Amino acid sequence: MTYLWLALVFIAAAVVAGVIFARQGTRSGEARKHWKAVGLAFAALAVLTAVFDSIMIGMELFHYDASHILGLTIGLAPIEDFAYPLAGAVALPGLWMWLTRKRNGSTSPGGESNLKGLVPQALLASRPVSWINTAYPFAAAMLLTTREIDWVLIVGTFYFLVPYNLAMYGINDVFDYESDLKNPRKGGIEGALLQPHLHRPMLWLAAITNIPFLLVLALAGGPAAWISLAVSAFAVVAYSVAGLRFKERPVLDSLTSSTHFVSPAVVGLALADADVTSGLLILLAAFFLWGMAAHAFGAVQDIQPDRQAGIGSIATVIGARRTVRLAVGLWLVAGLAMLATPWPGPLAAIIAVPYIVNCAPYWNVTDTTAARTNVAWRRFIWLNYGSGFLVTLIFILQWSLTS
Amino acid sequence: MGVLYLASLLLGITCMLLLDHRFRLFFWWDAKAAAIVTAVGVLFLLGWDLAGIGLGIFLRGEGTIATGLLLAPELPIEEPVFLLFLVLCTMVLYTGARRLLDLIPAKRHEKEREHV
Repeated sequence: MTYLWLALVFIAAAVVAGVIFARQGTRSGEARKHWKAVGLAFAALAVLTAVFDSIMIGMELFHYDASHILGLTIGLAPIEDFAYPLAGAVALPGLWMWLTRKRNGSTSPGGESNLKGLVPQALLASRPVSWINTAYPFAAAMLLTTREIDWVLIVGTFYFLVPYNLAMYGINDVFDYESDLKNPRKGGIEGALLQPHLHRPMLWLAAITNIPFLLVLALAGGPAAWISLAVSAFAVVAYSVAGLRFKERPVLDSLTSSTHFVSPAVVGLALADADVTSGLLILLAAFFLWGMAAHAFGAVQDIQPDRQAGIGSIATVIGARRTVRLAVGLWLVAGLAMLATPWPGPLAAIIAVPYIVNCAPYWNVTDTTAARTNVAWRRFIWLNYGSGFLVTLIFILQWSLTS
Repeated sequence: MGVLYLASLLLGITCMLLLDHRFRLFFWWDAKAAAIVTAVGVLFLLGWDLAGIGLGIFLRGEGTIATGLLLAPELPIEEPVFLLFLVLCTMVLYTGARRLLDLIPAKRHEKEREHV
């Protein structure tokens, strides 16, 4: 009987809420239709419940303590299970009507479209081709430490795969709008990435998709995870948000950009309670140098438009030639640093070579020819996939050596 | 560990969202309100689950199509995903039923009765 009492308590709460919301949320003459639709929805849900609840119980996904249920079943589904769809169908449409009461009075279906295109545009803006670059460091760091797939790993990997990139690039596109406007070379208004009426929704979307994950991951870890998550989130916001705009502050721009890719790995290590060894620190430092070099080299191609718009970057300050040389130097140091890590870490030193080869032809580039580095930059994006492949092989080797 | 159950749920959620998108029913009608309804619905039903688990009514199965990953004792990772599906399914059914009812011209005597 316990289940029945439990169900009755929750149904009672749902009915009270549903009736109150429906009263407040429907206009005169609308209530009838509302309850009719509720009835239809519940009828359909009841059929679905009878079929799929039986399948789920038959597949042994869950079962019930026999002493707590009445024993009446439809198919394999205990009668009490129908309380879930009943409560949902009674309460939620009422809440929905109440929340949308203003809109329903004035518009007809299809009448609103000011958010049209937000989700596709946000997904497109988040550079799906680069999603893996933030999810991989997290997943690899955590999996290699815990050596098991638990829910924290799955949730965290998903977070760093999609919502994290939505926030990073969504916020960026909103705040780049103004600086793009000032810059006729980037196409003025028409070249802007995101139309102004989508700015606010985009920031909301970033907040809604990120904050729950950050809280859940923070709950799963200790102080080390809190600090690394905070640093990670701060770097995402500070890179482009008005007032901070780290992306326009030379040197700080490269440091922040590299943090975007290294911090997921640090979060993964913190959540996995990894032992801090010198080898691990060297690995993270090498990864960080790699990230800085990548950012600095990427900035070279934009020297001319950035200077015309009065936007600073590491490349506009120290010049194209020195930036390219700095990037090559950073990759070289990163590669050499890997030689100091425990086996099979030194194998990763070879990954620096293709990056150096890719950029070395621009050793003597000038500020006027800087735009030509775009060719190498495009190759660079695909080089990352090759590097990821090599890194994965080394990780598999490390896994098999330590098991 | 099996991912069949989780994959089926995600597929079901995708289908609900496709219906939502095609007919502009729920999230594509009012995203903010839909987000609130979804969050409230999932949390309410999750609270119900936890109460049931606490009372010893609900027991997790050992089905091979589930991942076996647990969020809490007797609470598999699939459960909140299932609840999300249930809420979306409920709201797509309700908003869809409303849309269909709107297409049927109201009968005269029904109209009169409402004013009594």
